Amino acid sequence: MNNYIIFTDSACDIPAATLKEWGVEHRSLTFRFDGSEKEYFDGEIPSKDFYDKMRAGGIAKTAAINVDTFAAEFEKILKDGTDVLYIGFSSGLSTTFNSGRLAAEQLREKYPERKIIAVDSLAASAGFGLIIHLVLEKKAAGATIEEAAAYVEEIRNKLCHWFTVDDLVYLKRGGRVSAAAAFFGNALGIKPVLHVDNEGHLVPVTKVRGRKTAIKALADKFDELAVDHKGGTIYISHGDCLDEVNMLVNIIKEKHGVDVELITNVGTVIGAHSGPGTIALFFIGTEK
Amino acid sequence: MSIFNKKKKEKAPKESLDIKFLGGLLLSKMAIGGAALLRSNAEEVNKLNVFPVPDGDTGDNMRMTIESGIAALENINSDDLAEVMKVLSHGMLLGARGNSGVILSQFFAGTAKGFETMDKADPTALGEAFQMGVRQAYGSVMTPTEGTILTVVRESVDYATKRITPESTIRSFFADLVKEMHASLERTQDILAVLKEAGVVDSGGAGLLYIMDGFNRVLNGEEIDTSALSESSEKKAAPVITSFSADSEMKFGYCTELLLQLTTKKCDPDAFDVETLKSFLAEIGDSIVAFKTESIVKIHVHTFTPDKVLAYCLGYGEFLTVKIENMSVQHTDLDEKPGEAAPASDKKPAERKKYGVVAVTSGPGIEALFKDLGTDEVVEGGQTQNPSTNNFLDAFEKVNAEHIFVFPNNGNILMAASQAAELYDKATIHVIPSKNIGTGYVAVSSINFEEPDPESIIAEMTEAMSRVTSGYISPAIRDADMNGVHINNGDTIGVIEKEIVLSEAERIDAAIKMAEKLMADPDKFMLTVFRGTDATDEDQAVLEARIAESCPDAEVYFIDGGQDIYPFIFVAE
Repeated sequence: MNNYIIFTDSACDIPAATLKEWGVEHRSLTFRFDGSEKEYFDGEIPSKDFYDKMRAGGIAKTAAINVDTFAAEFEKILKDGTDVLYIGFSSGLSTTFNSGRLAAEQLREKYPERKIIAVDSLAASAGFGLIIHLVLEKKAAGATIEEAAAYVEEIRNKLCHWFTVDDLVYLKRGGRVSAAAAFFGNALGIKPVLHVDNEGHLVPVTKVRGRKTAIKALADKFDELAVDHKGGTIYISHGDCLDEVNMLVNIIKEKHGVDVELITNVGTVIGAHSGPGTIALFFIGTEK
Repeated sequence: MSIFNKKKKEKAPKESLDIKFLGGLLLSKMAIGGAALLRSNAEEVNKLNVFPVPDGDTGDNMRMTIESGIAALENINSDDLAEVMKVLSHGMLLGARGNSGVILSQFFAGTAKGFETMDKADPTALGEAFQMGVRQAYGSVMTPTEGTILTVVRESVDYATKRITPESTIRSFFADLVKEMHASLERTQDILAVLKEAGVVDSGGAGLLYIMDGFNRVLNGEEIDTSALSESSEKKAAPVITSFSADSEMKFGYCTELLLQLTTKKCDPDAFDVETLKSFLAEIGDSIVAFKTESIVKIHVHTFTPDKVLAYCLGYGEFLTVKIENMSVQHTDLDEKPGEAAPASDKKPAERKKYGVVAVTSGPGIEALFKDLGTDEVVEGGQTQNPSTNNFLDAFEKVNAEHIFVFPNNGNILMAASQAAELYDKATIHVIPSKNIGTGYVAVSSINFEEPDPESIIAEMTEAMSRVTSGYISPAIRDADMNGVHINNGDTIGVIEKEIVLSEAERIDAAIKMAEKLMADPDKFMLTVFRGTDATDEDQAVLEARIAESCPDAEVYFIDGGQDIYPFIFVAE
């Protein structure tokens, strides 16, 4: 039995068109700019415009997907006699996954004959996207919905997120990184290197002097942790700074002769917290 | 050693030109004469600067070092040579500033060891003690450089020692010593090419010569004008009584500072517990600093009842110095304002931290920057104002941490910091050899306070510092030709690490060329610029625009450093 749909949310930062191509359903988180009631879906505004607005001082506020929205979406699929595997945005960063989980619980009573599984990716941005990609490969190879869910649980603690931000002010403002003030100080040119831990939280790991050093530090983490330096899939997402991403791509290519499979913008919802100039590298490692 | 059974007094030196023995009273007089002669010539010594920039301060450093020794002598009136030399040298150790000051204090400390069991010394004993002083001075320097104060002291002591005969007197010894010191000082130019190129002799050697010449002149019965010495100390204490009158009420209490010599007559100095003293002080005052080095306790407390402090301390020993000041009174030379002093104790964290940071900075912007980076205590100072060993000890005392990282941020402050680290035993002190503000800034900013292993923090800092090349621009105060660069008085020169690399008539041109020179290295991608008080908004705007043009890929950060003397300090990484 392989009749299930993989459902996700927009925090995986895979462009909607690609998700459609992959046969993955999704719903979007939302955001609005401070001082305006106008609500946008994640990705509704082009990344470049969004980040330019942030650079000009615009403050974006984000909102999770609620239970009803998930329930309505899931139900459409269930009605067709198809099972649902919801893979959600890290519960360490958003209540979105919990909404999806509650919706799944509600619907299990209504559709006892259907399988509805919600699994926490404990991941974010294209790292979350990379999990979706890898699960799809499993599905294509014939994995059942249970096997696919178990596979997410297996790889989520190996899906490395290593990233740097150009300015910590965004993460601090959104409360998405704890107690970083003392760790980083306010010195100009100090760049943090962070990762996502096994609970799906953002954790500052070290700080380095200068942007280029930070980018090199990401490549060093790939050297140190990647399971398969030549053949593993690598994703990168960024906050409108493709030139610097190319630096990182070139370092990895020169050293390991491997290409980055997907380079995409950090979407508008996660980007609202990480800010312009974020560079995040994702790959499967020996540990997260 | 016994200090009580010798009541005999040395005759006034004027009548005893053939004295055979050096005693404590005579040594005190000589030391005061030496300090006074250096004081009148300190500015001359300051000017013996290899670089034609106005930041020489060897004279001031050595003067403050010996004056700290003299101040320690003020309250003893002993003729015991060992005792006087010990007090003198200990005062100098605590007050030592700058590398020359530290070497000077180590020379005296070594000599004091040589006198350890002597109530007086004949020329032979004096020579031997001086030889010990020379060895200790050399031992205090990691890699001794010849052509400096070390050479001057070694050669002159050797010379004077070799010339000792049964007929020698203290006077003939010092005459020989000073004579050779002159000659040796002249020869420093032949040893160190930079001195010759700059047309100067070694400044530390010159400072030592003034001190020893002062010793010598006292022996020869010459009157040295010591009024400058007492004048300055009087000036410091003289209050302008505007704020405390017959109708005033005591609001702030007394700033009470004293040096207590623990005595075996009254207690067991080794077993004396500073923590017990501190809890006593805490009952009657605040802003408490108290620590012990060997058998001397330094105490600072703000209290309404200084009499109780004195009475308590007298139970354990005798005072070397006592200073009690009404904090309601405005002083002409304020080193402590009541409003400022109080928070010092509030700031002291109750819980002992794993890591603390002490950094030497000058300029408000640089101080704020270091504090932002996690510096607990800032010691004011820099090239023209070297903090003393004691300043570091005070700062260590305020930082309640297991490990304290110390950033001298100047090559000439390194030794005082290291000396303080040796004297302090309540925390593990790690002196990080940052030789300028730029490398210090880079090092401090790379401390990861969460890292459990201090050694790996040090390794990271060392790595970060190794990538730094730093430089500064400064006005030139004389014509010179150095390192192939022609310098006109009034030019702005550029110095990278320790070499003059350019000289420009216009300050802004010097700044631009410095930035470009530093960033010409393909490994450098980041430039931090500290703007000093002498640089204008326009200077900065022009410089920023030019760097953006010539190094478009560089990460450039401007920081309002507020430092004097150097309009811009550059840190390339």
